[in-house]
Amino acid sequence: MLQSKLYLQPYLLIVPSLAILVAFLLFPLIWNVYLALHDVSLTTILGDWKYVGLKNFASLLQDGDFHTSLYVSLIFVGGSVALQFFIGMIVAVVLNQQIRGSNTFRALFIIPWTVSAVITGFSFKFIFNDSFGIVNYGLGQIGLGPVSWLSDPGTVVWSLIVANMWHGTPFTIIFLTAGLFSINPVVYEAARIDGATKFKSFLYITLPLLRPFVIINLILITMWSVNFFDLILVMTNGGPLFSSTTSSLFMYRQAFEFGLLSKGATVGFILIAMNLVLAYSYMRLLRSQDKSIEIKHS
Amino acid sequence: MSKIDSFGFDNNKLCDRNLFPKSFDNFKIILVITLMAVILIAPALSPLRVVHGQQPSQVTITAIVAEPKERWDALFASALDKLREKHPDMAIKIDYRVLPYADTRKQILTAMAGKTTIDLISVDQIWLGEFAEGRFLSDLTSLANSWNRSSDWYKTNWDGGLYNGKVYGIWAWTDVRAMWYWKDLLNQSGVKPDSLSTWDGYLEAAKKIENSTNGKGIQAVHLVGASHSPDMWYPYLWMQGGEIVKQKTGHPEKGTYWFPSYNSTEGVRALEFLKAQVDAGIKPQINHFWGQEFADKKFAMMLEGSWLLGHFNRTEWSTLDKKVGMIPMFPVPKSGGPSATMMGGWMLGIPETSANKALSWELLTIMVEPDILAPMLEKYAYLPTQKPIAEGQYSSQLAKTIPYYKELISMLSIGHSRPSISEYPQIADNIRQAIDEVYLGLKQPKQALDDAAKKSAEVLGWT
Repeated sequence: MLQSKLYLQPYLLIVPSLAILVAFLLFPLIWNVYLALHDVSLTTILGDWKYVGLKNFASLLQDGDFHTSLYVSLIFVGGSVALQFFIGMIVAVVLNQQIRGSNTFRALFIIPWTVSAVITGFSFKFIFNDSFGIVNYGLGQIGLGPVSWLSDPGTVVWSLIVANMWHGTPFTIIFLTAGLFSINPVVYEAARIDGATKFKSFLYITLPLLRPFVIINLILITMWSVNFFDLILVMTNGGPLFSSTTSSLFMYRQAFEFGLLSKGATVGFILIAMNLVLAYSYMRLLRSQDKSIEIKHS
Repeated sequence: MSKIDSFGFDNNKLCDRNLFPKSFDNFKIILVITLMAVILIAPALSPLRVVHGQQPSQVTITAIVAEPKERWDALFASALDKLREKHPDMAIKIDYRVLPYADTRKQILTAMAGKTTIDLISVDQIWLGEFAEGRFLSDLTSLANSWNRSSDWYKTNWDGGLYNGKVYGIWAWTDVRAMWYWKDLLNQSGVKPDSLSTWDGYLEAAKKIENSTNGKGIQAVHLVGASHSPDMWYPYLWMQGGEIVKQKTGHPEKGTYWFPSYNSTEGVRALEFLKAQVDAGIKPQINHFWGQEFADKKFAMMLEGSWLLGHFNRTEWSTLDKKVGMIPMFPVPKSGGPSATMMGGWMLGIPETSANKALSWELLTIMVEPDILAPMLEKYAYLPTQKPIAEGQYSSQLAKTIPYYKELISMLSIGHSRPSISEYPQIADNIRQAIDEVYLGLKQPKQALDDAAKKSAEVLGWT
């Protein structure tokens, strides 16, 4: 009797955390799948919910606007992650050198990340405004014509990527700085004595030792960029046409603008699947490289 | 075998020791279960849930309304005073949330789908069908019949509150879109205001003004390229006799139902006029500041709602006609032809979830009483939907205060409203897409509208 109670005790202790996970993570996920398998809109939500099986998935896969949104997402996520990562890495490494005021710069660089995406969106909406934006004003001062940053389908995604880069890069800076702090300076000292240049030290010491941080950072900023939509909503609302409608914004608009809850849930399910695949791919990459390092060492 | 963990504790020993009495174990289990129950039940207790009438004498009426807030502050304050006078035995309070326009529909729908108790809401005319279809709004037909004031409303405005022949909303006030211009800028450009009344004249004037104001940070004409661009295209469709949707028989599920008709010849011509504006160098504006850009003199001409006046200081109103001109129409294809405009404004409705329907109805009717409503309309330059305000004793005061009031009122006769069907938001999005495609030169007007109408037909269930 006592044994069984003691056996149960640790499980009972994790019940509160499990309850939170079930209530706020698992239940919404299952509810999302349930919605995706039915035909529910805001106008039918109080009536009978018709079971439609995989019909929502089939119609979504044939929806040209959804295809466009996937393509836009690919560019937005690819561009955002690449720029955030490389700029973040460069700034983190530079600030890790023995330079005066590096701590002050670190504190300053984190400011954009503390600003909400909505405020960032509004700020960049004005910065990129065709008529009175500061960017076009600057171009005018050097004799160049104005650019339709937010109203031209060819430039709008890149304008959003720049805004997202400004907002998101500080996270990479802070995260990689933490990684750089974890590397023992003695390793660099040894490399220097062995005649390694700074560039070679970065290539053969910093990068390999920073790899776990890099992978986790890439996972996080990729997932955030896939799910990111508030900045885009504020800056362009997905326009012009669908040229800046990412999949997450597509989901939001279907569910909350048009009231098509099942369609929105179906897109949400696909986004979760995409996130899982991306996270798994990064993890596989991390593991395969760890193995190759182990083989080299052995 | 002992298990020593990283902190140096022997876990087996720790587990073997019965540190607490049995009753304490039970207490812990009860505590854990209670915690779980609290965690699971907490989300169901929505913060919007307001306690209604727990004590017979205390009633709180809850409301969700759309910005700007000041108009509601004024309206609720005076209406509530009158309601309290009528019910001295009750302590009536009102708890209203004022939300930005873009969030209001979403918040109302979410709250009502979650069966949150709300007693009064502001309803945009285009939401009415969606809300009524979703059974979110109370049927006010019998209450309205007993009230017996429907004949005080202009027919278009009263009918705007109907869905399938039943009353779901009372249209409190309206607005119309008209043509505004800066007199000095037109003078400098040598443009006569009368010439703006036709499509050709409008395009010609735009070119002249552009040449005259070039390099001064002033654009000639404002062309809406924002998400609500269809609203500024509809008048050109309506003035030629076109319609957004029409009833049609043969619907696979509903027999007779709405079918997209905006891709008609009239629709194509209307979109060709927008295309002609773009071809003439007028740039669609993706940001719309609802008249502020005109008040800031960034544009020489602007087709904008009557609320534009609110962007000017009220002290300027009495002399505004010396600086700013207004033509009560949208440009027409040929001189002397009929014009059209779009009517907006707000309705008041009572959600099905209201816990105080009778009292909310009473409050609603007080809010639209001429002596309560007219001062608010006068202050914020809104247009009345009721004849006693528009034509009765209040009209002279409104005309004295609101610039161009008589001209604006005259536009009500050419005012149209958008279809209040549940699929309207998606149809409007299809039209917006067509307009964008034409703006960007991706499609010709006919092709763009045909493609959009095909999508709208699917949305309406014609597959």
